[in-house]
Amino acid sequence: MTAKTTASGIAYDVQGDRPDVERRDAALQAFVRDFAATAAIHMESCLRCGMCATACQYYVTTADPKYTPINKLKPFEQAYHRHVGPFAPVYRFLGLSANVGIDMLQEWEALLFDACSLCGRCTLACPMGIDIAELIKEARHGMYMAGLVPDRLELMDRTAKAWGSPATPADDFADIIREAGEANHVPVNVDLPKADYVITTAPAELTEHTKALTDIAKILNKMGLNWTYSSEGFEASNIGYINGDLELQEKMTRKMIDNALAIGAHTLILPECGHAYGAARWEAARWYGKEIPLRIIHMTEFLGESVASGKIKLKPIGETATFHDPCQLARRGGVTEAPRAVLKALGLELTELQDHGALGWCCGGGGGVVSNVRADPLRFKAFELKKQQVEATNTQHFVTACGQCRITLTLGAKKFKWDRKVESLLELVADNLED
Amino acid sequence: MKHDETLDALIERRGVSRRAFLKYASYVATLMALPPGSAAALAEGLAKAKRQSVIWLSFQECTGCTESITRSSSPTLENLIFNFISLDYHHTLMAVSGEAAERARVEAMQANKGKYIVVVDGAVPTKDGGVYSTIAGVSNLQMLEETLRDAYAVVAVGTCAAFGGIPKADPNPTGAVAISELSGGKPLINIPGCPPIPEAMTGVLSYVLSFGKLPELDHFGRPKAFYGETIHDRCYRRPFYERGLFADGFDDEGARQGYCLYKLGCKGPTTYNACATLKWNGGVSFPIQSGHGCLGCSEPDFWDRGGFYRPLPTPLGAMGPALAGAAIAGAALGIGAAVAARSHRNGASATTGKDKE
Amino acid sequence: MDLLAFARGPALTFALAVFVLGSLWRLIGILALPPWRDLSPAREGAPPDWLAALQGIFGKMIPHKTFLKGGMFAIVNGYVFHIGLAICVFAFAPHILFLKSLFGLSWPGLPNGLVFAVGALTAGSLLAALAYRLTSPVLKLISRGDDYVSWLLTFLPVITGLAAASHIGARYETLLALHVLSICAFLIWFPFGKLMHAVLFVFSRGATGIRFRHRGAQL
Repeated sequence: MTAKTTASGIAYDVQGDRPDVERRDAALQAFVRDFAATAAIHMESCLRCGMCATACQYYVTTADPKYTPINKLKPFEQAYHRHVGPFAPVYRFLGLSANVGIDMLQEWEALLFDACSLCGRCTLACPMGIDIAELIKEARHGMYMAGLVPDRLELMDRTAKAWGSPATPADDFADIIREAGEANHVPVNVDLPKADYVITTAPAELTEHTKALTDIAKILNKMGLNWTYSSEGFEASNIGYINGDLELQEKMTRKMIDNALAIGAHTLILPECGHAYGAARWEAARWYGKEIPLRIIHMTEFLGESVASGKIKLKPIGETATFHDPCQLARRGGVTEAPRAVLKALGLELTELQDHGALGWCCGGGGGVVSNVRADPLRFKAFELKKQQVEATNTQHFVTACGQCRITLTLGAKKFKWDRKVESLLELVADNLED
Repeated sequence: MKHDETLDALIERRGVSRRAFLKYASYVATLMALPPGSAAALAEGLAKAKRQSVIWLSFQECTGCTESITRSSSPTLENLIFNFISLDYHHTLMAVSGEAAERARVEAMQANKGKYIVVVDGAVPTKDGGVYSTIAGVSNLQMLEETLRDAYAVVAVGTCAAFGGIPKADPNPTGAVAISELSGGKPLINIPGCPPIPEAMTGVLSYVLSFGKLPELDHFGRPKAFYGETIHDRCYRRPFYERGLFADGFDDEGARQGYCLYKLGCKGPTTYNACATLKWNGGVSFPIQSGHGCLGCSEPDFWDRGGFYRPLPTPLGAMGPALAGAAIAGAALGIGAAVAARSHRNGASATTGKDKE
Repeated sequence: MDLLAFARGPALTFALAVFVLGSLWRLIGILALPPWRDLSPAREGAPPDWLAALQGIFGKMIPHKTFLKGGMFAIVNGYVFHIGLAICVFAFAPHILFLKSLFGLSWPGLPNGLVFAVGALTAGSLLAALAYRLTSPVLKLISRGDDYVSWLLTFLPVITGLAAASHIGARYETLLALHVLSICAFLIWFPFGKLMHAVLFVFSRGATGIRFRHRGAQL
């Protein structure tokens, strides 16, 4: 692992010591390999209208045209036309699309990883409906195969491979749960051989937000459900999904699903984590290879259902709040009503952010950006957008439903000495359960 | 009537008033859009003009042009112009025939060497040595060449002479060509039309007689005065075109309302002629006024432009086979490209697999 | 054969053949790639795929209000020249006759004066689009040769059409021939550049419609 800079002065990290040509080929072949009709249609459809720029927080806050979402795909667009597109032989024969060089890939590393949170706001702005965020993920796969990934993300990748989680060794998981239970005085279930509900976690809960581990336990206990945490398959955040390490993504997916099925669970509850929702709710079946006989739901959906069905009753807080919609949950996941219903049940008067729901701005830290220290300056720029919109609501509570968003926004608040606490919807529910 | 009699004298002899003559001169001047004051000059020139020797050759034609020009409904000054010229040879009209007729032509050529005008109606077949049309054993090709040799100018009357017309229409079995291709640099005026408007013919002759030169011509050798504007631009149905009101059939409500005939294949927009202004039969009507679209008869190749009832903006020719072939080829290439991309994928997959180890 | 006969005859036949060949080649070449199969269970109440695709295709016609802020000009101008082109192509009587000869369908047109005015507005809008592309830093960065070729081949039929309708610049039949030839150039380029978006938008938006509506997400 080495940090380097391109001739044009752009920083990039590189892993391994393969020759450049080999890396380049690996990147392009990996990109080409997973090309399905939808991705091809989207690769063919760009009009270069520039609308995606107006949707991207990194462009809007810097006004640097290189952050235009579609520009982040340039090397892969070239590769597509040269290797996959219907006119590929013509392109190659006439030399219409230059073969992508390693220098271009090196230069694009920062655009694909530092300046994209996979938030998909550009997808909604695109008049052709090009799912740019999905294409960026395909491109990241190519970058991963070339060994051109930010070192911090690669470190998490290797950790996850070794430990089963980027946050903690699987061996320590049960202890962390038990310690949290003791500290917060909540009875916890871990590694029960059989259970109806399997609770999964993301690194945020295992490090900074350990209270979340017992918050959900408290709720499930209250509801009298048969549930467990499980050391064999607890990690839901799936770093492979973010890094473009599809092999790892598949491995993590299978591990989590197989374990839940082995326990005989009918429902797998995902933590307050956006990417976990994308990876498990929408992509797991792709890697599992068939439909999964298991209900996979997000924490927020679970809370929403439980409140709606009256299985949990909440004490009204009676204050005002605004809500930050995690991108993977709202925009790319379709969950916008559940958190609002829960806030309502909490007696919080909701004032929406100027841009909210499917159109909310990203916290700026998704897609691994928050873990990638090289991206800090960009991330803080993006934070300012969110800060302005939150301030404009003039509310008492600032709530979200994703641990990564929470960490990103908390870091931003700290940086700008902004006196706002970012609260978790789960925590608010757990703290206000009616006895 | 002698060759040296002036038009003046002829008019007087026929009892036409001076006033009527001046009226005609100003009419022609107006028709030909001559500058103001030219009417007087034209009248003066015409009055003093001597009888012009004209040799009229009819080749591959239907005699329609001659019919059109000679059959005026009433005796007019236009007839007079025809009367005035010395039509020394016109095998349709002349009284004599056979060798006597051919002798008249040769005599006229010798008597007016360098001064006579050759009027031609009909195209000239050139295939197989021109055997497809002969007069008195002489091929049209040869007769034209001979007659043109000492001519002052040549006037191609009718579309066959001007552009080859119907004889030249696809597949042109006789190798018919327009006079312009055989005129060998002689001054040439084309007065196309099937048939041409009589006034265009007499107007041009009056101009030549009066001013002793050719009128201004367009790139097809047509007098701009008569062929300077399209039928469409001067058509009285034009407002319907602009408003999007069209007849869709010859017997529909639009046709009864006198709407534009564009959809029925009218070639007015690309046809340069004076029909819409001068009209026919003494200004009574013209095809569009009678309910039929313009055929474009004063334009080259009017017979081969995809059919008289094919609207102007439609493609020419049958493109079905070409498009069907293209569709099959396109589908095959598309499938081929996808198969290639898939195998490229699989190949790449194998390589990446190796790459991982 | 004169220029007009050449344009209406061999040139148009050739152009349409290339258009058909290239379009099918490209479209089938994409659509015959392996499909993206979504095995995840759909959100409760998600519409069937065909309806989701339609929601994508039509829903995307109206941009979200929040994107007007930075994209107002591109959106409004885009609307102007797209609607303008549609009116010129589909509401001008001679064009309707052309289309009828190809597809056998016909419909009433608009008065020429109106279509002419729309054509002039469209030409202006296209010029504005070009000016925007040449001055916007974002567009300057992402534009390719295709963008300029496609622009020119869209602009030429409009401008030659206006010239032919108003008899400016040359004789009518010459202008008409140039107009038809410019359409030929447009048709020939269509499958190979971004003009193809006139077909691809159905699939591009439809695919995203299916993906997003499957998840119960807003488009």
